[in-house]
Amino acid sequence: MNITPDLRVQLGPLSLPNPVLAASGTFGYGLEYADLVNLSMLGGVVVKSLTLSPRAGNPPPRVVETPAGMLNAIGLQNEGVETFIREILPRLREYGVPIIASVAGETVEEFCAVAERLGGASGIVALELNLSCPNQARGGIEFGVDPQQTAAVVGAVRARCSLPLIAKLSPNVTDIVPIAQAAWQAGADALSLINSLWGLAVDVQTRQFRLANRTGGLTGAAIKPIALYHVWRVHQALPEVPLIGIGGIMSWEDAVEFLLVGASAVQVGTANFVQPTICLQILQGLQRYLTEQGIAGVQSLIGSVQDNG
Amino acid sequence: MARWELLATVVEHRRHAPNQYELILHAPPIAETVQPGQFVLVRPLDTHAPLLRRPYSVLRANPDKGVISLFYSVQGVFTEQLSLKPVGSTIRVLGPLGNWFQRVSGVNRHILVAGGFGAPPLCFFAMRLAPTLKAAERIVILAGARSRDLLVGLDEFRALGAEVHVATEDGSHGYPGLVTDLLIESLKDPTPAAVYACGPNAMLKVVSQACKARGVPCFVSVDVPIPCGVGACLGCAVRVAMPDGGQWFRRACVEGPVFRGEEVVWE
Repeated sequence: MNITPDLRVQLGPLSLPNPVLAASGTFGYGLEYADLVNLSMLGGVVVKSLTLSPRAGNPPPRVVETPAGMLNAIGLQNEGVETFIREILPRLREYGVPIIASVAGETVEEFCAVAERLGGASGIVALELNLSCPNQARGGIEFGVDPQQTAAVVGAVRARCSLPLIAKLSPNVTDIVPIAQAAWQAGADALSLINSLWGLAVDVQTRQFRLANRTGGLTGAAIKPIALYHVWRVHQALPEVPLIGIGGIMSWEDAVEFLLVGASAVQVGTANFVQPTICLQILQGLQRYLTEQGIAGVQSLIGSVQDNG
Repeated sequence: MARWELLATVVEHRRHAPNQYELILHAPPIAETVQPGQFVLVRPLDTHAPLLRRPYSVLRANPDKGVISLFYSVQGVFTEQLSLKPVGSTIRVLGPLGNWFQRVSGVNRHILVAGGFGAPPLCFFAMRLAPTLKAAERIVILAGARSRDLLVGLDEFRALGAEVHVATEDGSHGYPGLVTDLLIESLKDPTPAAVYACGPNAMLKVVSQACKARGVPCFVSVDVPIPCGVGACLGCAVRVAMPDGGQWFRRACVEGPVFRGEEVVWE
């Protein structure tokens, strides 16, 4: 007898209809894909990171393809939180998809101001803090590479916003566990792992950096094993913390891998560029897998990986 | 503007020159709606390397037969994968994407400046433009490339009865030098003209500046990487001058790939 598997997931206070979300920066504000993807079927859309004022972003070239991946240095180009709330959010709300707003800032105060504005808007189910932002007070070093700076952002936003908070962590660290712990203790309800990895590429003919910004964030299939490793490590160390796995998810099998090592949900990023309908294909694949394996619900997959031998 | 993500069937790889092919794809909804200057993103195989789709401007479209043509030159792994797709097999196509060339009214000369592999969208534009010309109007093609074997679309342009001038950097065909030299010369003719260009950005920059100096309307299709094609990733940013004197970035895949020459701030 076939039972339709239960796809609902719970991340602390945040309930989602299914575990497949579109990752920030790879799905615009959702509207860009609305004619190609039935948004209402997604577990959620994490919109492009929002700052207090509009940001022009970095000069081009901003992207370059690398083996099984791509480097990007967009520079947080966005319309600013006010325009998002006034012009974009009302249109996105109509699709009935859980909306998670990604918050960016160069100071703790900017994170708080953006979060406060979003906390007062209707139709947002959670905030994701983009801790890979350059910290102005520390010469542009990412907030997320330091446990204290991570805690400072999360704690300050926590005090001024009642929405569920997800801290998105940077993998560009020696040990991600103390940072995960700092974010959790400062009041994060869940953690997203991982943001992109720093990298660069050079054109040997022109002897120039391929990106105008010289360095960029590596994403795509190439980073999946690294992302799995970080999710697994944090889940081992902090089993009570809800995790969202991100990094190189190109197929439903990739998504299941993340669930097995401890993620309660996943975000699909670069794969959206390759195949706009990929999130829904992953969701269908996951549903089929659960049915075939006789697993009643996605919750029972989470963290159930076994040792080999 | 409607667009589709679909599996298109390979109808033919029509050889134009050594290593240069016209890929004819059966993709009826795209064939019916695509405009000259628009592009599609294609993916020949489900591989992780290459990972991303690549943009191709449409060379021609036949709505009656439901086919579109893309021009490609075999230069690397991606184009090799494309070239190996057998007739009858399918490739993923997303499109039509972006804006398009629109004819400027009130001018007698439509000057199309084609740099190397930038020629295909201008071929398509010339094909759609030619039947609409009034008695006093004509199409002038200025085609340039590094060498003769990298010139694209000359037969198509000549078949339309357009006036064709060629420049090659190595002097192997036509004027020895840059195609922009031909444009600067051509713009000395006081007959009202509009310029439409596609090619390397270095060429487009000179074209834009030459047209601005003469007050000639100029439209350029920029050459930038396009990861998503739908305006989500902001990877295809083009710096533009804003009316308020500031600068901002526009997306080549949505607000472009065709921009007014004078609005682009060349990097």
